[in-house]
Amino acid sequence: MSYGVMQRSRCSAGCRGARPSATTLSRRAPAPLRANAPAVSASAVEDAWIRANVAEPAAPSPVAGLAALRSSCSEALASLRMPTTRNEEYRFTDVAALTSAKLARPTAAAAVDAALLDSLRFPEAGGSAAVLVDGVLRPELSDLASLPRGAYVGGAAGAPAAALERLGHLSNARGGPFAVVNGVLAGDAVVVVLPDGARLARPLHIIHVASGAGAGQGALSASAPRLLVALGRGAEAEVVEEFVSADSGATAVFAVAEVLLGPGASLKHGYVQREAAGSVHLKSTLVDQAEGSSYNLVEARVGGGLSRHDVGVAQCGPDTATRMRHFLLAGAGQLQDLHSKLVLDHPRGEAEQLHKCIVSHASGRGVFDGNVKVNRLAQKTDAGQLSRNLLLVPRATVNVKPNLQIIADDVKCTHGAAISDLSEEELFYFRARGIPAEVARQSLVYSFGAEVVQALRYDRLVARIQADVVAALQVAEASIAGASK
Amino acid sequence: MRGAAFGCNRAGGPGCRMMRRTTVPCRASGSSNGAGRPVLLEVKGLEAKIAATGQQILRGVDLTVREGEVHAIMGKNGSGKSTLSKVLVGHPDYEVTAGTATFKGRDLFALEPEERSHDGLFLSFQSPIEIPGVSNVDFLRMACNARRKSKGQAELDPLEFYAHVVPKLEMLKMDPTFLNRNVNEGFSGGEKKRNEILQLAVLESEMSILDEIDSGLDIDALRDVAAAVNGLKRPDTSVLMVTHYKRLLDYIRPEYVHIMEAGRITQTGGMDLVDQLEAGGYATLSTA
Ligand SMILES: Nc1ncnc2c1ncn2[C@@H]1O[C@H](COP(=O)(O)OP(=O)(O)OP(=O)(O)O)[C@@H](O)[C@H]1O
Ligand SMILES: [Mg+2]
Repeated sequence: MSYGVMQRSRCSAGCRGARPSATTLSRRAPAPLRANAPAVSASAVEDAWIRANVAEPAAPSPVAGLAALRSSCSEALASLRMPTTRNEEYRFTDVAALTSAKLARPTAAAAVDAALLDSLRFPEAGGSAAVLVDGVLRPELSDLASLPRGAYVGGAAGAPAAALERLGHLSNARGGPFAVVNGVLAGDAVVVVLPDGARLARPLHIIHVASGAGAGQGALSASAPRLLVALGRGAEAEVVEEFVSADSGATAVFAVAEVLLGPGASLKHGYVQREAAGSVHLKSTLVDQAEGSSYNLVEARVGGGLSRHDVGVAQCGPDTATRMRHFLLAGAGQLQDLHSKLVLDHPRGEAEQLHKCIVSHASGRGVFDGNVKVNRLAQKTDAGQLSRNLLLVPRATVNVKPNLQIIADDVKCTHGAAISDLSEEELFYFRARGIPAEVARQSLVYSFGAEVVQALRYDRLVARIQADVVAALQVAEASIAGASK
Repeated sequence: MRGAAFGCNRAGGPGCRMMRRTTVPCRASGSSNGAGRPVLLEVKGLEAKIAATGQQILRGVDLTVREGEVHAIMGKNGSGKSTLSKVLVGHPDYEVTAGTATFKGRDLFALEPEERSHDGLFLSFQSPIEIPGVSNVDFLRMACNARRKSKGQAELDPLEFYAHVVPKLEMLKMDPTFLNRNVNEGFSGGEKKRNEILQLAVLESEMSILDEIDSGLDIDALRDVAAAVNGLKRPDTSVLMVTHYKRLLDYIRPEYVHIMEAGRITQTGGMDLVDQLEAGGYATLSTA
């Protein structure tokens, strides 16, 4: 009937003051690049799982930018090892669900149910929707009629050369192991280029469908969607990436988004993950912000099984603003991991991060490692970071490590983490208005994530995420009720 | 202990930590006061402390409010006016250590906060909190239906509720967009106060305790809100206002004015007390 909401004891990272993270993934010197062939032969790859599942080269890409990406990532693959929980960055994130599976690669363009796509569209993004199936842009399913003149939104083939040249620059330099996997497997990239001063009138809705094609016999259908957003000086856009599965079958998605913001440019970035239960979803988002630019991320992940997002944002000039809000829901068998790194190197930067996570099942886990580094030159910075976690059942676990490192001395920073029950003050307000404690509690649980999810703004989009949340919480509730009988 | 199993009720449920005295059923019959109107709220010898620190705030409050009456409580900052208000509605920060309070003849301290609300007791908070993520209209409807249900009335569906709430919005001169916003989130000080009165209007409570509804209101807003409070008055309802200024009392005229001092009501009079206060401050009262 209702939740037992308790404070759990397993905030194992100690919440605050924990030691700074160190990247300890083993990556050795790259093997020499040979022209005209897969950069590295599969047999030279050290890691057995990578050798068996990733190293087999995809069909060569005729698009120069993609070919270069693939070649540099194939090279890196040779010395890459799949992380284990002995790696600091993966201490609480066991990727065995991936490394114990075989990967299958969808070969032909899979058919996608039109009803599914229709159910995902929202009116505000009419004429502004790009559909990718298994990482490949499908123009016949997309509708990009409302794009302004001079803007480019499309696949890698046909994208402006200057943008394509930068494909992989951020992810090769700062991405983790799964960004490398993406670079090897990516069959296409959605490229969004806005010239100086241009503005997308409508949000661009990027629907990533994982078709599940080729799966079976313990094999996960794998795809590698890639997004590159390059906004010129003062350009403005909103991009909403939504990841879904074509059906209830689990898939593996290795996603990368690279964002290059010119001076004074502004990007609102929505990121929604609603994939099928048991899916492996590993995403990297890398952002470079020029002076005066603004990057605003709103993330909601409620689906999948093993789900991780690595976000790296670099403020590369003064007066730069970064705002990130995340809502993660970890139900039965779900791990929702967020690793973020934000580096402030310049004066008068602003950074604000809100992480909210609900763990609704004893087998669910939330992981948050949020590193904000305010360097010596970043004077007059205003940085805030807050992590709030709601653990609804005994043995539900979060490992949170908000980590604000301040080297500059003239800065205003706040941070904190709460592993919490619901706010008593809020509960009392409901009760004082006659709303019974149990109803109040439920309403507060449902609304816990709404604070973030509502920032996605579009009614149909917000409603379906909330519906996922309600469904997951009802499952949790039923299992608690069942267990207590 | 925070966050223990659900259902731990810090809000003063039965037997929790208040001293239980025998319930004193209050009937108006034989009363010497108020033209025989029934007593709505009766507080006797009420003492309360802050649960966390044990600090005593209320030191024996006596107060009787009959149906149809308007009362005002004034008093210096920190004298315990908000504490009294919150103790009456069952705020978990406080523990009742002595005394009784009955509302409509029922022992208030034997009731959960939500039951007190169902019975018709309402507090407009001095500082209403924000509830991010919960829409105002959902909150209002939950509150409205909770009270209806307790009275055995049919609950209102969203459409019916909309019809129920719109005239009340109009009465308060509130824009309907306030319904779709989250409860108090980003509301100005004055908008929060209006929203409290909107809740009162929706709940149709018989006894409203209004803790400084005049603070944060501009001159026009004060007139609107006071008019709304006056409009909500019925022969069987009562108002208890906490305020620092005469301004509000000129709009909503109290029959009784109480002065609170260090956790007790030390004087009771009429508007003349207010005039005396305005003229010479609290010092004139204590020497009077
Ligand atoms: N929850 C609490 N925790 C700590 N102290 C409290 C708490 N509630 C009340 N107090 C203290 O009790 C005293 C009375 O507070 P109360 O809010 O009742 O005063 P008040 O008469 O309403 O004042 P004001 O006119 O300023 O609103 C004050 O000294 C206040 O600091
Ligand atoms: Mg007060």
